[in-house]
Amino acid sequence: MTTIANDLRLIKTVDNLKNYLIAAMKIEHATIPPYMTALYSIKPGTNLEAFHIIRGVAVEEMLHLTLVANVYNAVGGTFEPNTALLAPDFIPKYPSYLPTGSTDFQVGLGKFSQETVETFRKIERSQHVKEDEPLVASRALEEYLFDIIGYQPNRSFYTIGLFYTEIIRGLFALDKEYQQKGENLFCGDPKRQITPEYYYNGGGDIIPVTDIDSAIRALTVIQEQGEGSTNDRIFDAERELAHDYRFQQILLGQYYVIDKDDPTTKSDQPNQPTGKHFTVDWDSVYPIKENAALSDYPDGSEVRQAALDFQSAYSEFLTKIQYSFDGHPEHLIPAVGGMFRLKEQANTLMRNPIPGTPGVNAAPIFRIDQPSLS
Amino acid sequence: MIDINSPEFEYFLNLSVVLTGFSRFHLQGTGVAHLYFETIRDILGEELFGELLNIFHGLELEKTEQSIFSDRLRSEILASEKFGPITRNIIKVWYMATWYALPLSWRDVFGTKEKDRTFIISPQAYPEGLLWTAIGVNPPGAKGPGYGTWSEPPLVSLNQG
Amino acid sequence: MSLNREVINVDCETVFNTLYDAVIVGTGVAGAIVAKELSQQGKRVLILEATVEKDFTLAGFQSYVETFYGAVEKNPNSPYPTNPNVQSPTNYQDYFVEQGPMTLSGSYTRVLGGTTLHWEAKTPRMLREDFKLYKTYGQGLDWPISYDDIEPYYRKAEYELGVCGDVDEQKKLGVEFAPGYVFPMKKLPPSYLDQKVSEKVEGTQVKLYDQDYTIRFSTFPQARNGEPNPDYDHGNGFVPHGVTTVHPVQYGERCQGNANCVPICPVQAKYDARRTLGKAFETGRVHVLYQAVAYKVEHNSENGHVTAIHYKHYKNQNSGEYTIGTARGTLYVLATNAIENARLLLGSELLNTSGMIGRHLMDHPFTLAWALMPEVTGTMRGPLVTSGIGTFRKGKFRRNQSAFAVDIHNDGWGWATGSPKGELEDAVDNKHKYGQELRQTLISRVSRQLLLAFMCELLPEYSNRVTIDPNYKDKLGNYRPVINFNLPDYSRRTLAYTRKVSRVIFERLGAEDFTHYDSRDPAYFVFENEGYVYKGGNHFSGTHIMGTTNKNSVVDTYLRCWDHQNLFLVGAGSMPTIGSSNTTLTIAALSFRVAEEMLRELNSISPNLQPATLPAR
Repeated sequence: MTTIANDLRLIKTVDNLKNYLIAAMKIEHATIPPYMTALYSIKPGTNLEAFHIIRGVAVEEMLHLTLVANVYNAVGGTFEPNTALLAPDFIPKYPSYLPTGSTDFQVGLGKFSQETVETFRKIERSQHVKEDEPLVASRALEEYLFDIIGYQPNRSFYTIGLFYTEIIRGLFALDKEYQQKGENLFCGDPKRQITPEYYYNGGGDIIPVTDIDSAIRALTVIQEQGEGSTNDRIFDAERELAHDYRFQQILLGQYYVIDKDDPTTKSDQPNQPTGKHFTVDWDSVYPIKENAALSDYPDGSEVRQAALDFQSAYSEFLTKIQYSFDGHPEHLIPAVGGMFRLKEQANTLMRNPIPGTPGVNAAPIFRIDQPSLS
Repeated sequence: MIDINSPEFEYFLNLSVVLTGFSRFHLQGTGVAHLYFETIRDILGEELFGELLNIFHGLELEKTEQSIFSDRLRSEILASEKFGPITRNIIKVWYMATWYALPLSWRDVFGTKEKDRTFIISPQAYPEGLLWTAIGVNPPGAKGPGYGTWSEPPLVSLNQG
Repeated sequence: MSLNREVINVDCETVFNTLYDAVIVGTGVAGAIVAKELSQQGKRVLILEATVEKDFTLAGFQSYVETFYGAVEKNPNSPYPTNPNVQSPTNYQDYFVEQGPMTLSGSYTRVLGGTTLHWEAKTPRMLREDFKLYKTYGQGLDWPISYDDIEPYYRKAEYELGVCGDVDEQKKLGVEFAPGYVFPMKKLPPSYLDQKVSEKVEGTQVKLYDQDYTIRFSTFPQARNGEPNPDYDHGNGFVPHGVTTVHPVQYGERCQGNANCVPICPVQAKYDARRTLGKAFETGRVHVLYQAVAYKVEHNSENGHVTAIHYKHYKNQNSGEYTIGTARGTLYVLATNAIENARLLLGSELLNTSGMIGRHLMDHPFTLAWALMPEVTGTMRGPLVTSGIGTFRKGKFRRNQSAFAVDIHNDGWGWATGSPKGELEDAVDNKHKYGQELRQTLISRVSRQLLLAFMCELLPEYSNRVTIDPNYKDKLGNYRPVINFNLPDYSRRTLAYTRKVSRVIFERLGAEDFTHYDSRDPAYFVFENEGYVYKGGNHFSGTHIMGTTNKNSVVDTYLRCWDHQNLFLVGAGSMPTIGSSNTTLTIAALSFRVAEEMLRELNSISPNLQPATLPAR
């Protein structure tokens, strides 16, 4: 069956698909440094609710990264040295457009503030496109597009969800093609899959991917956790509040209410939460340098050394995550454990003024260590 | 008036570096240096606290050799009847976030301070105690290092130099 | 979990005007399980809770954590508010009226969720022979039920509490499991200290009454979120409880090694009864009346049926003023704890045909032994205990002396000496250390610590008991527990023997023994010319034991009071012996069994009332 959608799709080969999946990992990760920076800039003992809302979303982004890796492994993807999570351009240089190619807003590394949370909402915004329409709008060439959407540089996706819809369309078509040829698109070793026992608290289920159904389920979780299932609802298929609305709660200082027994009719409407109020203290935040770079820290200062140490620790964190994706799933939990130490390192930085810049504190730097420099 | 913007705060940080064995960066990184400074000042009063910090600052200015500096730190501060108990308290503040009521023998000579009682400086200071960092662990009940990390060798060793 | 939690706390008037299917006193693990099981099957339940309301929000829990952070003395109740009207032996030293000859002391927490808020969460099952100690070894009492009777309920309890552990390790210790069974989660990884100790000690042979015993290490099953076992439930796996993100109602991380299981796990990886209460409250069929301290169980003298529970309702915890109220139901459950249950039963002047109410009071006395390892092994890392020695939980020596289990404490000497606070004070005030030398001193004195804790069985002794005395009442005029307690030679012999074992272990490790028992300690005793100190284990049990007749016991095998057929006494008080197992898992298992019996009875009274047809509110 040939549909319009089929003609419009951008993913036509497994290599296209793998590129898209690597780009997907990049997108999922790209939100983590901004979330972490805002999160750790909150002074301990304050903004408990906001802290946990952001943290919960960040944890789900880690889950999403893992789910994409599962799909990638399932279609025979491999992790070569200095590629994927360890590619030099895996971490965007903040401030940055999202790697979806959407160019109406930039994401940066900033302290917890109303503005930052507004940006987080934009990251997680939803937009739905009918099945028979193209997912990308034609627009001018932008910096990110080349390696992201399979060498079709004049296209960008309005939302992360639409980007995944493209992948799903591609997967369906390729799976069909392979079946017709008597081959299996899902040729990856199942032992490389990350399985549910490596759950993250509250991050939802990890879905091992072995066939088209599980692949679609995995990608649907990502789409829905981000943006909810349809425009006029605040919750996703698992009846959890979509990320966009979770962030909105912080701005409104009030929780949404979802009735899990009857979510459709008894839950809150968008923009009208009715749950408990909570306090948000926008001032209980460390005054950190926005989009900090190493050059912001004087040579020979302890702050500079600590920033370098953080960068190395972050590189090591990604290295371990990639190692666990690359056929060593049992290493995922210790790798995630590394995040706990990152938090302490980040906190220490954020409490230290930058020498010579009174009133502005240091902030962590998210770069991949370059082997030649170490 | 001594406060976090006066030079005494810098002296306090420098004294704390010497007393605790942790760097300035690390001490500031606890996020509670200001709080400690102000709390201790409020307990002791500006005069007494300022006197201690200025004596220490004098030692720093006159510092030539480490060994002489250490000897003077002992004799003029740590072994001082007046400042010894206070500096030991400052160590305990940094290490355990706890101010200990000054010993009776000290109060007999130097008088009772109204706010001098044993207390945790603030709930958020407790997890910043240097004791835990010194022995390479998280403060019990905070900053958990992650599942299974306890199976790995400890992060500290003896005579690490 | 629904965000729309039913409003479940009610006032005295609502309680007075409602006839419940069951009235439960207490919100600890036992009361919570019974409430959940009944309400999920359509029954209407009232819980009387002595303390003030506590919400289930993250902010509410965080207030406990911050109270703990701010407490100078970090004792087991330090995170939880004290309440002069609802005292506990930890917060009020004189709450127990100790009449000797030895002291019981101990700790429990009278807050929503009970002592599971501060428990450590070890969950070993009891052994088959623990249920027939008299028949096997001529000691103690036999249970009226066997291991086989309770085994299916152990499985339910392990599900409810979310137990991690290794079935094969437990089998080697003599615990029996259904074929193919695994725990819901995999065992917690042993600590580095565990590994270092077992490297040198595993396989050591000791002789006890001419039998050889080989010291072997294994991990403890614990009710703590870990790695779910994909093989659980015939391959369906397990989803840890308390895991959800959106609303901070139910929060429960995987264990992060906060090294603070007692008194509070800051990330709620540890099970506590609020998880079960949450499920009960979700049904919309549970009412809770807070600040209601039960003081009298009323009964009909003709048929023995309990007709009401009377309670004192205080407005302000700092004032002893109260009003009196009444709660009525078809069935009644006392689920306070062994000591509080006994106090309430005795104060209610109920029938006591066996004369055993309050008697056979048990606990697990501990001895501690502590030493410095020759090298830095790391202290205060991970859950408080991950491994121990199960070798002495069974064996023929039980004819002569009690069984015991051994913990390796990951948290160092704290329990014995108050470390590491004492080490810091000593290093600064006595050793006059500062700077780098101070840091090294602390590593040397803290990071090499090893503490072994030996948990010994105590048999049901008729004379160990809780009584009441009109001279001793609390602020609300309720009876305080009067305690008579002694350690029989059967246990003293083992407490003394553990010192032999610790010496052997320290010798093997080349560890410097610092164990010291202070003769001024109220828990000091001399046995065969050597002095020892025991510590209370807070596993209070045995004050209303179960048995085969109304002459040899207070309750039957379903924890139903022989003298009052609609009254159920739930909790460790019903256990005739406690072996060398921490009691909570068995309490939970028995609670499931009781709930089943109560449902059978309620359904036989009104068989037409099907759960599906009952409105939820």
